[in-house]
Amino acid sequence: MDFKKEVRIVCGWIAYFGDLLLRLLWHLVHVIISLFYFTLGIANALESYLISWGVLKRYRSLHVNKLRYLAIVVESEEAYETSKIIALLQWLADIGVKHVCLYDMEGILKKSKDFILAKVDGAVLYGETHENNKLLDQTHMTLEFASFCDGKEAVAKAANVLFMKYVKSGATDQNQKGHIFTESQMSEALKTIGSGGPEPDLLLVYGPARCHLGFPAWRIRYTEIVHMGPLKSMKYGSLIKAIHKFTRVQQNYGK
Amino acid sequence: MLSLRFAIPTANSIASPKPKPKSAGSLQFLGNQTDIFSSGVSVPKRYDCKLQAAPTDVDVVNGKTSVARELSEELPVGLKKELMPKHVAVIMDGNGRWARQRGLPPSAGHEAGVKSLRELVELCCRWGIQVLTVFAFSAENWIRPKVEVEFLLSLFERALKSEFESFASESQIELLFYVMLFPSVRGGIRISVIGDSSKLPTSLQKLINEVEEATKQNTKLQLIVAVSYSGKYDVVQACRSIAEKAKDGEIQIEDINESLIEQELETNCTEYPYPDLLIRTSNELRVSNFLLWQLAYTELFFVRELWPDFGKDEFVDALTSYQQRQRRYGGRHS
Repeated sequence: MDFKKEVRIVCGWIAYFGDLLLRLLWHLVHVIISLFYFTLGIANALESYLISWGVLKRYRSLHVNKLRYLAIVVESEEAYETSKIIALLQWLADIGVKHVCLYDMEGILKKSKDFILAKVDGAVLYGETHENNKLLDQTHMTLEFASFCDGKEAVAKAANVLFMKYVKSGATDQNQKGHIFTESQMSEALKTIGSGGPEPDLLLVYGPARCHLGFPAWRIRYTEIVHMGPLKSMKYGSLIKAIHKFTRVQQNYGK
Repeated sequence: MLSLRFAIPTANSIASPKPKPKSAGSLQFLGNQTDIFSSGVSVPKRYDCKLQAAPTDVDVVNGKTSVARELSEELPVGLKKELMPKHVAVIMDGNGRWARQRGLPPSAGHEAGVKSLRELVELCCRWGIQVLTVFAFSAENWIRPKVEVEFLLSLFERALKSEFESFASESQIELLFYVMLFPSVRGGIRISVIGDSSKLPTSLQKLINEVEEATKQNTKLQLIVAVSYSGKYDVVQACRSIAEKAKDGEIQIEDINESLIEQELETNCTEYPYPDLLIRTSNELRVSNFLLWQLAYTELFFVRELWPDFGKDEFVDALTSYQQRQRRYGGRHS
């Protein structure tokens, strides 16, 4: 009986130490994974700072002229952080970006546009200096403000403009209908209702969601989309990196 | 662009010979030859698969075969069933580059791409994804060399035709085998094709109509193939459709709004018209005129791999990333 008892005790100890060992192993794996992600985070932050300080050679010369029109999507909750938006625009002005569209779903940035325009040196409202929505080279930065109503709602309004034209023309044949309802006609109709801005070359998304949050769909056919993370942790280096990456992209437009 | 089996009937609609008196759960899979029934029927080569045991128990009641138990495949570790996307969209990019890197003609890349699509369809069936939309051929692709365009369209037609014909000619026993070996596709795949079909060859248009009609009752997965598709075209054709209705007096001009346009979009062929997740391969960070209207709140996932290299591991990565992301919709839903 004593022998059985001893065996039971030994087995108990083995089980206890085995369990302890497995727990330690599990925690070790967790620590290693956490360390890996922590190191990755530090490496990214370090790279960002090195870019900011101009240490990394390849990021020094940006062909920013390739970026004719930049769009920035900000999650509505973060759009209230106007100081961050202004700092971001100031960075873009320093980099040499001339034309920027600021978008948030709720139109919070639209409401703050006068304040933003006043704070960003030499910034003017898009449309005031451009006839026919042409992007002209100039010294100051032009800003466009967009919200959800410039997207799907605007397309519906533009469609109404075309319908009126279609109905008034009294067209019944297929050719007439096809002639009015074309992509170029829709683009023109969007311009007439004031939602026909140009297609951005690059769209930077600030916020937790990895989607463009309803940015006007008609305008992002070939737009490069980059998720930048939360606005509160925005970095100058990350911005440079995103623009640099864009300038090296070769688009083939279906070829 | 696709080569997969569709219109798989449920097993209890198929009469079959009497099985051997042994548990179907212990079926032996021996290469292409699977001796399940006393009649010694062999599994056709196209059904050959690497399985350790049969996924179903088969009972024969009144000469009919009914599936008593289906072992649905476990999701990979880390994925939660309740967080799976209902609708996944894929831009299958990089076939040409894949072929170029290997010194092969573009056609070889497209053939390899079909294999990746087959695998993805099978995974979607297994893991309970309801809708898979794939960008097979864009409206902009018409500017490619004529030889490549013709090859792409013939590949699409060939794939559809071979599956359609082989399915039509199969015996009930073969169908039973298929259902048993691939329980994940029980209920069948419904195929829908979206895009400007007027530009496609008439033979392909006819075939598309036949396939859509033949598979419209299937419920396991809806595969939407975008051929000669453009996001802007989709919106414009929706407006044209509304214009006709307005002209005929079906709707009033004041009634036209975004929800009305949404009802006329081509993706309205599905219960879930808005993709939850968009995957684009080959490290390109754009949507290239694909489902422009529908992608407002879609999680975007860009992967480095070229489409022919995209497999189970990459798909699991995309789904894991999707499930981990914090999804916020702002104030509105599209």
